Amino acid sequence: MNHTHRKVTGTIDGRKFEAPHGATLLDTAKGLGLTIPTLCHHPGLPPDGNCRLCLVESGGRLLASCMYPLRSDGEAFLTASPLALEARAFVLRLLLARAPNDAYLLGLAGELGVGADPRLTDGADGCIRCGRCVRACRAAGSEAIALVGRGRERKVAGPFFEAPIDCVGCAACARACPTGHIAYSEEPRSIWGRDFDLEPCPLCGRPMGTPEELRRAGVENPVCPACRRREYSKSLMGLPEASFPAP
Amino acid sequence: MSVVDESLVGRILDSRPPEPRYLLPILQEIQAAFRHLPREALLAVAGRLKVPAARVFSVAGFYKALSFTPKGERLLTVCQGTACHLRGAGALVESLEKRLGLRMGQTSGDGRLGLESVNCLGACALAPVVTVDGDVHGHLTPEKAQELV
Repeated sequence: MNHTHRKVTGTIDGRKFEAPHGATLLDTAKGLGLTIPTLCHHPGLPPDGNCRLCLVESGGRLLASCMYPLRSDGEAFLTASPLALEARAFVLRLLLARAPNDAYLLGLAGELGVGADPRLTDGADGCIRCGRCVRACRAAGSEAIALVGRGRERKVAGPFFEAPIDCVGCAACARACPTGHIAYSEEPRSIWGRDFDLEPCPLCGRPMGTPEELRRAGVENPVCPACRRREYSKSLMGLPEASFPAP
Repeated sequence: MSVVDESLVGRILDSRPPEPRYLLPILQEIQAAFRHLPREALLAVAGRLKVPAARVFSVAGFYKALSFTPKGERLLTVCQGTACHLRGAGALVESLEKRLGLRMGQTSGDGRLGLESVNCLGACALAPVVTVDGDVHGHLTPEKAQELV
C-alpha cells in the first residue's frame, strides 16, 4: 500500500483519531477540536518546534506536537496531563521573560497560574527568538534577516546588524511575528530602518505593494488582489462592467 | 575597515565548488587568512555561493572561531573548562589580564596579541591549560603563565 494513503490511529486525551500517515500531532489534535497553545507555529510555514509551548505528554515523554509526525498506531497523547501542564508552565515563564507584555502569553499564564519571573526579565525586548519572521521571509522568497549570535546575545538581524540589504519591504516578517515585536509602518511603508515606495494598483489606485516586492513576485502587469478577482470574474462571465460594484 | 586583498578572497572562493555546503570551510579559510571576516569578503562569499547575506552573517556569527574584528597575531587562549576552572584558571586569567593590560576577549591596540577563553580543550589531565597559537601549555601557575607572554 502506498505510504501516503496509510492511516494512523491512536488517542489524544482519550479520544480516538484517525490521521493520514505523517500528519502532525498538532494538526490532528486541532481536527479533534482540542486546543494546544502554540507561538512559533504558523500553518503556512515549516514548523520549527522551538518555542516549546505545544509540548504534550506521551507515556511520560514530552513531545513538541507541532513537529511530531504520527507514524505508528496505538500511541496515546495527553495535552493536559500534570506533566504536560508543568512543562508548559515552565516554558511559559521563560517566554514571558522575553516578552512580559504579550497579551497571548499573559492570557495563558493566567490560566496556568504562572507569572513572569522578575529574575529573568532583565533584557526583555518582546522577541522570543522563535524565528517565525525568518521563516516567513524565506517562504516569501527573500532571506533578508536571520537569527544571529548565540545564547543571550541571539537576535533577529540583517547582515552586519544593519538595515537588511535584501529586504523588499513586504512586511511578511512583521505580520508573522507572534508577539508584534517587529516595528513597521504599513503606509507609508517603513520597516527594519528602511523606507519603501508603494506601487498603486493601475485599476483602483490603492497601494498594492512595494516595487521590490512586486518584482520578487515576478508577476507581469500586476493589479491588486481585489481587482484581479473582479477582472477574472468578468472574464469568466462576460458580464458588463455595471454588474460589478466598484472596489 | 581594513583594505581587503580581493585576489586572496577570490583564490579561496575558487578553491571549492560554488555550493552552499562549502560556506563554513570557506569562512574558516578567510578567517585564517585575514584573522577575521572582512565585510567585503562575506559579501563576496554570499554572492559566489548564492547564499543570502543574512545567512552568511548568521553562520559567521555563530562560531567562536570566526570573528568580525581582527584577532591578535598571537593568540593566548585560556581554558575555562571544569577541570581547569577547579585547578585555578581564574588565577591565570587574572595574572594574564594584569600582565597584558587586556581583558578576556580583547586584542592589543597594535593587533599583535589577543587574549581569549575557551570552554574546554579536552586536555583536562593537563589542567589548567593555556594555548599559545595552538601550542598547549599545561600544569600552569600564574607565574608560569606570565612566561608565555
